[in-house]
Amino acid sequence: MLTIFRYSLARFRGQIIGWGLGIFLLGLFLLPFYETIVEQQDQFQELLENYPPAMMAFFGDLSEMATPHGYLGAEYFALMPVILGIFAVLAGSGLLVSDEEKGTLDLILAHPISRTALFAGRVLAFVAATILMFFVGWLGLVLPTLWVNFDASWGEIALPFVSLLGVILVFGTMALLLSMVLPSRGLAAMLSGILVVLSYFITSLARIDDRLGALARLSPLNYYQSGDAMLGLNGSWLVGLLAVAALFTLAAWWLFQRRDIRVAGEGGWRLALPRRRAAAT
Amino acid sequence: MNTTPALSMQGLRKSYGNFEALRGIDLEVQRGEIFGFLGPNGAGKTTAIRCMLDLIRPTGGTIRVLGINPQADPVAVRARVGYLPGELRLDDNLTAEGALRYFSALRGNNVDWGFVRQLAERLDLDLKRQVKNFSKGNKQKVGVIQALMHRPELLLLDEPTGGLDPLVQQEVLRLIREAQAGGATVFFSSHILSEVQEVAARVAIIRRGEIVEVADTATLINRAFRRVLVRFTRPTDGSALANVPGVTVLSQDETTVQLQVEGEINLLIKALATYDVADFDTERPSLEEIFLAYYEADRVEAR
Repeated sequence: MLTIFRYSLARFRGQIIGWGLGIFLLGLFLLPFYETIVEQQDQFQELLENYPPAMMAFFGDLSEMATPHGYLGAEYFALMPVILGIFAVLAGSGLLVSDEEKGTLDLILAHPISRTALFAGRVLAFVAATILMFFVGWLGLVLPTLWVNFDASWGEIALPFVSLLGVILVFGTMALLLSMVLPSRGLAAMLSGILVVLSYFITSLARIDDRLGALARLSPLNYYQSGDAMLGLNGSWLVGLLAVAALFTLAAWWLFQRRDIRVAGEGGWRLALPRRRAAAT
Repeated sequence: MNTTPALSMQGLRKSYGNFEALRGIDLEVQRGEIFGFLGPNGAGKTTAIRCMLDLIRPTGGTIRVLGINPQADPVAVRARVGYLPGELRLDDNLTAEGALRYFSALRGNNVDWGFVRQLAERLDLDLKRQVKNFSKGNKQKVGVIQALMHRPELLLLDEPTGGLDPLVQQEVLRLIREAQAGGATVFFSSHILSEVQEVAARVAIIRRGEIVEVADTATLINRAFRRVLVRFTRPTDGSALANVPGVTVLSQDETTVQLQVEGEINLLIKALATYDVADFDTERPSLEEIFLAYYEADRVEAR
């Protein structure tokens, strides 16, 4: 499993650098503006009052823009689940099926490695890649605090990333599960992507429309704390998200154990519904 | 000495929806032999091999590889088997050496790297080059090396010489023979019959998911039809020879007749005693012709 983990993590190298550098630069760019927001708090509030509520709903509570958690929540963490959700969906859906569609999984599984070990190695590499990416992003936020007056510790700045990790793992494992059920990686990624965006819209719109409250409770983003995590992490929400991710992972593992490994080019629109384990003895 | 067969399949079936890829295969391969698995594309060769490695699950039947049920303990089977897939795909971002080191790591690094270099040299493969810059033939060489490098007890080779030039094909066949001499069993599928004929002691012919023949390669060739060319001393009508049981007249001119004889040749020789024969030439069919005969029979049945 360790070989699979190391090799898979190495394959994530490009994505860690690419996505990580993106959020690193975003943090580096955004944080210095915090001082300006604090200095021009009154004018800013005036400006916000003229914004339509529907638009405000997508950025969380903007009345606290002059606080570290409010600023980072609105400017940085509000859109992160969608931005990094794309990474999660692409990575999750391709974790095993990408190799299967390319035809390389056949040869890997012809070596003395169990499907469970392969699955675990790949999932752990995805989790490690996500954490590494967040670490790079976190560096982009904490480095400017060396010269910007930002009243939050480095540990506090890390807390929204912990909350974000829960959401990203849910999205990634959901895509992994769908890739086990649907006939192609592309379809699994597309459907997962739609669910991520839907989740974002439902959670955001539920802030201004109570009728969506019940539906929003099903959305993973409902349990994402964004910048508010800096005030204290909601442990039950985080555990809940991690439990859902674990459930999706378990279901995907169960399906992977029971399915045929396709060769390159194989696939169709027939759903790979779970079947009785093969009859051979 | 272990006497359990290297491979054993009984009633092996595999269906994809309504399509039956394998329709109850019974086959046994003894340890230490080179066994050829013949059939055209889509006959079920690859499906059978993938069942042996638990890459796909049979719909029914029994399968044992080196005495182990691959569904119950796939890792134990794979540890002792070297596999070359028919449609070989490698990670393009690695060098040949990188790919082989990865496969070696998956085997717990129990590979003699000196042997790998020796194989690469014999197959004329540059280990430092990136896989993405390789031709199909060079990728196939990487595949051959990874199948052989841990000196497995059983080699499952799906079209091992595909994409290789004739010289390298011969080298691969030599490697297969050497593996057998070292005690390995070799099970290889092919639709290139000449190479099977060259190395395999026994063959099975698979047609539409069913085994239609299992025999010693030599017996199969001996048992099947043969071509006979008869030259007469003077212009003769040889068409009456078609009345001899098992004889078909393929062509004739004034002084020669070409015949195909199925089964015993004795009756033809007796019939020829009444003719003035100047020369008599008989030719064994190649495995290719035998193989095509099975498929010809299939086409006739289908009509």
